[in-house]
Amino acid sequence: MRQAGAYSGLLCGGVSGRTGPHSLPLARIKKIMKKSGEDVKMISGEAPIIFSKACELFIQELTRRSWIMAIQGKRRTLHKEDLASAVIATDIFDFLITLVSNSDSHETTSAIMEVETVDFS
Amino acid sequence: MVDNIGGSSSNAENSGMKEQDRLLPIANVGRIMKQILPPNAKISKESKETMQECVSEFISFVTSEASEKCRRERRKTVNGDDICWALASLGFDDYAEPLRRYLHRYRELEIDRSTNQDRGNSPPTRGGEGS
Repeated sequence: MRQAGAYSGLLCGGVSGRTGPHSLPLARIKKIMKKSGEDVKMISGEAPIIFSKACELFIQELTRRSWIMAIQGKRRTLHKEDLASAVIATDIFDFLITLVSNSDSHETTSAIMEVETVDFS
Repeated sequence: MVDNIGGSSSNAENSGMKEQDRLLPIANVGRIMKQILPPNAKISKESKETMQECVSEFISFVTSEASEKCRRERRKTVNGDDICWALASLGFDDYAEPLRRYLHRYRELEIDRSTNQDRGNSPPTRGGEGS
């Protein structure tokens, strides 16, 4: 898979140059895409590149929201429960609810109770 | 097909896919998380692992939506526009616009690069071919 060397710094902003133009491995992204469904047949070269950026934005957003939860719990260490709380509090992350609830449903239940006081708007 | 990548990391029964293949590397994921947090913040290993799972789920979720659109339109190849469309369709409007600009810029550079090659100019030094 071709690495796009010409794109270093292209809208990358704070992305570390040490890891190369993209912070996430394109071939791995492509593998995950292929496994997402039977009708995913062909993937254009640009799709993993777009995803690399999209995943970065996703990680940043979920991390930021989780951090708010940690702060509310007066902690400076991000824990799994903080991610669970952030997921529950954010509509567009509904697709992750099962994922974060799978283990530790006790923690998630308390997270659901806490989350009602948070206003993200 | 795989519809549940959730659960603890010991669950390796996902269509024979090894754990390292279905997740993005924890180092990369952790680095992106760290960059957005204050300098004194700490990140538990478990939350990085959870984030890995969430990202893979995100990729699958968006790809399924994009590929469904291709299926409806009888196209075989999922391209960058489909990804941008799927993101907007699934509520990630904030990502869709910057990514569309990123995609168009990428395409412009691609055209430049292949035009230069046709003329026999050597392109700027690139990184290795990758995996």
